[in-house]
This record gives sequence, structure tokens and C-alpha cells, in this order.
Amino acid sequence: MSAPLTYSLESTDNGNFLLNLGPQHPGTHGVLRVVLQMDGEYILRADPVLGYGHRMQEKIAENMTYLQALPYVCRMDYLGAMSYSLAWVLAVERLCSFEVPERAVHVRVIACELNRIASHLLWWGAYLLDLGAFTPFLQAFADRERILDLLESITGSRLTYCYFRFGGLGADVDETFLARVAEFVTGFRSRLPRYHDLVTGNVIFQRRSRDVGVILPFEAAGYGITGPCLRGSGLAYDVRKKEPYSGYDRFEFTVPVAQEGDCLARYNVRMAELEESLTIIEQAVATMPEGPYRARVPRVIRPPEGEVIMAVETPRGELVIHIVSDGSTRPWRVKFRVPSFANLSIFARLARGQLLADALAILGSLDMVIPEVDR
Amino acid sequence: MSSRLQRALEQAGLEYRPESPRIGLHCSLLLEPEQLRPLALALAREGFFIETVTAVDRIGEGLMEGIYLFNHYDGDMRLLARLPVSRTRPVLPSIGRIFPGAVWHERESAEMFGITYDGCPDSRNLLLPEDADFHPLRKDFTGV
Repeated sequence: MSAPLTYSLESTDNGNFLLNLGPQHPGTHGVLRVVLQMDGEYILRADPVLGYGHRMQEKIAENMTYLQALPYVCRMDYLGAMSYSLAWVLAVERLCSFEVPERAVHVRVIACELNRIASHLLWWGAYLLDLGAFTPFLQAFADRERILDLLESITGSRLTYCYFRFGGLGADVDETFLARVAEFVTGFRSRLPRYHDLVTGNVIFQRRSRDVGVILPFEAAGYGITGPCLRGSGLAYDVRKKEPYSGYDRFEFTVPVAQEGDCLARYNVRMAELEESLTIIEQAVATMPEGPYRARVPRVIRPPEGEVIMAVETPRGELVIHIVSDGSTRPWRVKFRVPSFANLSIFARLARGQLLADALAILGSLDMVIPEVDR
Repeated sequence: MSSRLQRALEQAGLEYRPESPRIGLHCSLLLEPEQLRPLALALAREGFFIETVTAVDRIGEGLMEGIYLFNHYDGDMRLLARLPVSRTRPVLPSIGRIFPGAVWHERESAEMFGITYDGCPDSRNLLLPEDADFHPLRKDFTGV
């Protein structure tokens, strides 16, 4: 690996120049800074500079009780907050050996999969925006809005959901919600071909994404790539299948895989995942059990001394939460192993030798959420 | 399923002791620092991927515990390696030249815990400001 980039102006002597990509305002989509060493339009070296959204989430969690930390967890990946929330409650439930009622398991799966569709839709729109197409963004937001309305009706919030509780849910869902979800599934499935008509076959899109940013399977292991970025390289690793949690093993779905490893492959995987998520939601709604939505758990969570590891498949890949408990009401150590962090770490390697415009296409195809990278 | 794991551990001269999968782990190892790189090489050869590099501050015992998590894309093979070293000047071996993705994890762990990763190709701060010389995840950190 090459020596760290220095930012002195001396590097301009040989005709190369430094280009500062970002950072942008915190209100925009992601605050990432990349220092690029350029030779004309080509990138010699890329050096992502992180930390603009760093909030020290792990220390915050160590200074709080398990329940107090719950709403913070959802603020890392604000597009996949349900999966984060789920990972935290599952980790604590695993640590304390709490049981979860069947109804809660089903609602959790429905909420997470709706959230996954919303996240992929935002990615779809924003990615096409990165590539210079504006209309898809609006198209995606129309359907995403339907999901946000659905989730708002049960959680009360539109992005940073804090709906799950240790042992179940914060509130039960009613028949109206389930009917609206079923209606959404049918409607979205009929609208999905429009997405493909609009973008997938488009020749400009194809030429911007085919053979660009190829991740080879052995490289993926070196960088710890997970999620759709990995499955675009032919490896069918999905935590929902490999280490089933929260009842995912009772639903039938396939793990979409593409072999090429380029931006187009990652696009195709995410598009296919939309349909798989619909299938899972459909089954979860159809087999929704009656009964309690929350188990009785102690008011004060005081887990036994020990360690626990919980992995969950978020829309962006594998999230691992490692909790070390010292037997008190606060965790001694919490580690969030977030998917975007690992997925972004390969960017420098992928960008080397590429055109600047292609690097932007690669960056978008990795689908990272910067506050999740920075934590 | 864990034959790959067994094979990798054998190559590194380590004994395989299965852990209860109830805590999300399939094997956990307590290693001396010089055992880490041979293990990482064997794991890389068997196709394992790096999940994270981090640490736990065991201030009561005066130890800094290096934590390394690996997993395999075939599933069911999560491995945790634990390397306790002195807390006063913790030094751990870097695996950044075996798993390039470990570099970022090591940079983060170095700035947060004040650990030196011996041989890490990049030792700049990652998430903290470039001139930060404090280590916020140490248990005796009281603020800047």
C-alpha cells in the first residue's frame, strides 16, 4: 500500500494536481470529503477523509442504560433505522435471554423490509441523480413516500424510528395497517416494471455503469465488503440466510446475486431485492399470528456479565453489534461494526486510475450513509 | 461447515474449540500478539473476511484487550481473537497488509484507545481531528 497522501502543494510540481471533492453541508446527502490526486481527468490516488459526522456513538452508548441507548442507535443509518433498532434489541434480548412473542417477530420483519425498500428506493433515485438523471428521483420518492406514511402510522416518526422494544414492540399494529401494507405490496409490484422501463435498459445508464468499479470476490474479503455490494460480485452472503434472526428462516425468499461485480451488477442486485422484500412482507402479513405484541421484561435491564455478538442484514450490508456487559445497567463496551464503513474502505482502491466521472458513479453505487460511517 | 475454520486454525497451529453459537460466535481465541499474523494469513488463505478490529479497555485489570472479528461468506464461522496487552503502552500487530480493509479499523481503534498498531501502513487519525491526541474510548478519559 502506498504512503499516506500529504496535502502540501508540492505535489503539483510534476503536473498533477490535488482536487478536493466535498465536504458538503451537513444538510445534504452525506458529508464525505475525498482528496484526489489527479492527472488530468484521471485519478492517481483517492483519499477519503472521514469524521465530519462523528458523534462518538459508542461512548454515548457506554454512558447510558440499554434502553436510553435505543433511540441513538437509529440515528446512525437514518435510511435503515429499523434494522439498526432491530439489531440493538436483538443483541440485548440475546444477552438477557428474553423471549419475543410471535406477533412481534412478524411485525418486526414487515417493518424492516418496508424500510429496506424505502432505503433502496432512495438509493435508486439518488444514484441516478449522481449520474445526471433527475426524473427517477421523483419517481422513487412517490413510492418511498407511501412507505414513510405506512411506517409513520405505526411508529410516529418518518425516518429515525424507535419502534421496537426489548421483548417486542412499542405498540401493536391494527388490521387497517396490515390491509394498507398488503395494498402497497400489490401496487408497488405493478409499478416496479416502470422503474425498469425508465432506467434499467437506458443506454446512457448502461454505459455509465457497466464494467465500472469492478469488485473481485477475493478483494471483497480483504476489505470485508457485505450487502448488495458483495452480492454484486457473485457471493451470496446474506445474514438473513446465513445466520437467520428474528424468524427470517420461516419465510421463503432468494438472495439475488449478480456475477459481474460492476456498478450495474450492484444496481441489478438492489432492484431484485425490492421484489424479494415484497415477497417476505406478503408472507409475514398473510401468516400474522394473533396474541401479545410484547413480552413482560424487567423495567430495569440488568444483563448478566458476559459478551454477545449480534449480526443483522441492514439495507447496506452486515451490521455487527458487540456488547460487553459487566453486569451493571450500562454496557461496558459497545462496538458497532457498520457495513458502510467497510464498503467505503474499498473506494480508494476502486477509484485508482479511473476517470473522475466514473469515480462518482462508483461512489454512488456503494450506497453508503456517511453518518453511519462516521458514527 | 466449520471445516474451513478448523483448517485455518490448524495452519496457524491453534486448537479449535467451538463456542456456543447462542452468543453469535463460533470460536473465540485468546492469543499472544505474535500469533496473530500467522492466524490472519491462514484465514485469508481460506477466504475469510475481516469484520472488525477494535478493543475493550479492561481498566480494572490494567489490560487493553485487542479484538479481531473474522467471518466467512459461507456463513456460520465467526471467529473472535482476543489479544490482551498492557494498558500503559499497548502495542498490537497490524494485519493491514494481509487484510487491506483492516487499516481503517486499526486507525479508528488506534485513535480511540491509544493503541499502536505495529506495521500499520497508515497511522493518521481517521474519525477524530488530525491533531487530536486524546483517546476518548479509554475508560479514564474525562473530556478535552
